[in-house]
Amino acid sequence: MGKVIFFNDQSDAESVVDVHLDGWLREFGPRTHEKVEAESVALLLEALEGRYPRLRFKLRDETGQLRRFVRVFVDGQDVSGTTGVTTSLSGAKAVDIIHSIAGG
Amino acid sequence: MEKNNKIRILLGTRKGTYVVEGDTRRKTWKVGPAAHEGSEVYHVMADSRHPGDLYAAVNSAFWGPMIQRSRNWGKTWKEIGTPLTPPKKERKPRFDDSDPTTKWAINNLWHLEPGLSSEPNTLYLGADPHLLFRSSDLGSSWDPIVSLNNHPARKDWAPGAGGACLHTILIDPRDARRLYVGLSAVGTFRSEDGGQSWKPTNKGVEAPFLPNKFPETGQCVHDVAADAADPDTFYRQDHGGMYVSHDRMEKWVRIGKPLGDDFGFTVASPSSAPGKAYFVRLDGMARVTGEGHFQVHEWNDKTRKWRKLVSPEAFPGHFGVQREGIATDNRDPAGIYVGTTTGQLFISPDAGKTWKLLPFSFPGIHSVSIANPA
Repeated sequence: MGKVIFFNDQSDAESVVDVHLDGWLREFGPRTHEKVEAESVALLLEALEGRYPRLRFKLRDETGQLRRFVRVFVDGQDVSGTTGVTTSLSGAKAVDIIHSIAGG
Repeated sequence: MEKNNKIRILLGTRKGTYVVEGDTRRKTWKVGPAAHEGSEVYHVMADSRHPGDLYAAVNSAFWGPMIQRSRNWGKTWKEIGTPLTPPKKERKPRFDDSDPTTKWAINNLWHLEPGLSSEPNTLYLGADPHLLFRSSDLGSSWDPIVSLNNHPARKDWAPGAGGACLHTILIDPRDARRLYVGLSAVGTFRSEDGGQSWKPTNKGVEAPFLPNKFPETGQCVHDVAADAADPDTFYRQDHGGMYVSHDRMEKWVRIGKPLGDDFGFTVASPSSAPGKAYFVRLDGMARVTGEGHFQVHEWNDKTRKWRKLVSPEAFPGHFGVQREGIATDNRDPAGIYVGTTTGQLFISPDAGKTWKLLPFSFPGIHSVSIANPA
């Protein structure tokens, strides 16, 4: 059995966050759990879009802002309507990206 | 290859795409494949240059707008290149500051239009906010039409109630370089050079909601149809009434006044009836069927007379019909198809002589279009 190499194995563990993604997003590429090294929500999204180009514009629009019904939680705190994509991930452990309750 | 002898009615609805299949006699219909469940679909288009290819303008409330294509008459669908999305192999997540289009977010995709048969890989796309795109590879990638998207007058353009939609795209069948577009609350434009430059074409159209009633732009065009026999003639349903132009939209003449309230959202002109156009008249204030019943009016451009096609007793009710809500097929006599905001689909197999209501209720219908048999 070969050696298992984790994503960004050599990086500073402090800047790697556990990202939990909405299952509905799987059709655009990502798994429900990803590990991403990023210093802000914007850079985290950019990294995910780099890995999965079809994810581009699904979470944020063409100007880079979060879509209306996309919620981002940093360590359990909803930042969607406050600091949004500019939120720092310094010291953060987990990010949840899910869709909000909406529709009718 | 199996001979295609079906007429397919393509519906974009508030909750997905529907394909309704019928035979050429247009007597029996079957509600076929549904897709994009839960998403707003503003337009579905059949590309007659590539039989079986359907395109849908899907606007997901959660994940944003995306273009989906089916290559098997709607049985299965896949997302293709939505504007500004990089090609599959190009992994460049950064936003492109040199592309002026990225100043705006795309709110919704509104209309897909295939190029002429002489340009088999060309597609056009209209989007909100007032954006036009062209694809030369059947939708894998899209180029913004910068001359329109960055038009000098754009700073004065405002959205209508349905948004800043670019909803009408027409191509002169004699010359692929002559294009016409319709933009809500802005009006119509014509290009003679394949989209490099645009001229406003709203002369004669009243804008009753503006201080200047006859401005160069600012009219709220709702829909435009070209006459099948005379590509210089157009029928226009505007916020300010029903109009005709006989000179490539250089000037418009109001024809709807004999109807009283000539408000509506949609118009169609079938290939088997040159000189005729079909309008769905609505109440200008309530935006539902005028006088409490479904109405379709036929304009005869030769006699310059109107004919009411549906009796007041046939289909009473209050419902809306949106800007892509009417379509005609290529049979003779023409089939006329009207979808409503409350999910009814009205069908006339004989150019409006008789009408029936399909016994199936859809989600609210945004658009109706037809895939004709070969």
